[in-house]
Amino acid sequence: MSLQRDPDRIEIKLFRKYVDLKDKRVLEIGCGEGRLTWQYASASSLTAGLDLDRDALRVALIDRPSNLSSKVQFSTVKAEWLPFRKETFDIAILAWSF
Amino acid sequence: MVHALSEIRRVLVPNGILIDLRPVLDRWQVEVASASGIRETGRMLDFPIGLADDEAANESIAKAEREGWFLREREEFFPFVYSWDSPKEMEEWISAEWEGFIDLDEETGKTTRSAWALGDADSRVCVNVKMLITRWRKLQAPS
Repeated sequence: MSLQRDPDRIEIKLFRKYVDLKDKRVLEIGCGEGRLTWQYASASSLTAGLDLDRDALRVALIDRPSNLSSKVQFSTVKAEWLPFRKETFDIAILAWSF
Repeated sequence: MVHALSEIRRVLVPNGILIDLRPVLDRWQVEVASASGIRETGRMLDFPIGLADDEAANESIAKAEREGWFLREREEFFPFVYSWDSPKEMEEWISAEWEGFIDLDEETGKTTRSAWALGDADSRVCVNVKMLITRWRKLQAPS
C-alpha cells in the first residue's frame, strides 16, 4: 500500500514547539508501532511506550534502533494502572489514545 | 479516562507536562492532490460512536481541569494528511482502520474516483484529519 502520513511532518514540528524533550523522562501512552516515538526518543533520557496492542508493540520493538535499546522500553499496560512510582516522568504524552 | 488522567498526574513530577495529541471528528475533508493543485471532492461521514468518543475525551479532560489536576497552557488544531496512490487504496484503509467511526458516502466516493481518474498522473487521494494538540501542566493537589 502506498499510504503516506503527514508528508509535511507538521505533527512532529508542532510537537517539538510544544515541549522540549531534551534529557527528559517521557511516558508515551498509545505509542502503537512507535511512529511518533522514533521521532523524539533520541533526545529523551528515557522513554516508556505503552500500548494495549501487542502486535503494534512487536513492530515497535523490531523497528527500535539499536542505539535506543537502553533508553526506550515498551509495555502492554493500561493507562488506568501505571506500574511506575510517583513522580517518575517529566513529560507524559497521550498519543492518539483518547 | 478520568482514572487514567489521575494516574498520569501521579507519575508526573511537580510541574510536569502532559501533551494530549488526538484526532477530532469534524467531517474530514477528502481531496485529490497533484503538483498542479488540490481539489476538494467531499467530506467524510462521522458516526455517532466516534463523536461520542470525542465527547467523552473532552468531558474527562474538562473534569481534570475542574479538579485542579492540570492547567491548560496552550492548544491548537492542525491538519494531519493521509494520502494514497488511488481511491481504492483509500477505501480499503477506511474499511480496515476507521470502520465504525467514519465512512465515505457514495457521492464523495464517486466524485473522488472521478477526479482522480481525470487528474494528472501524479494525483493522490488525501484525507485531511483534524488534529488537536494541547499542553497541560500538572498542578499541585488542591488542599
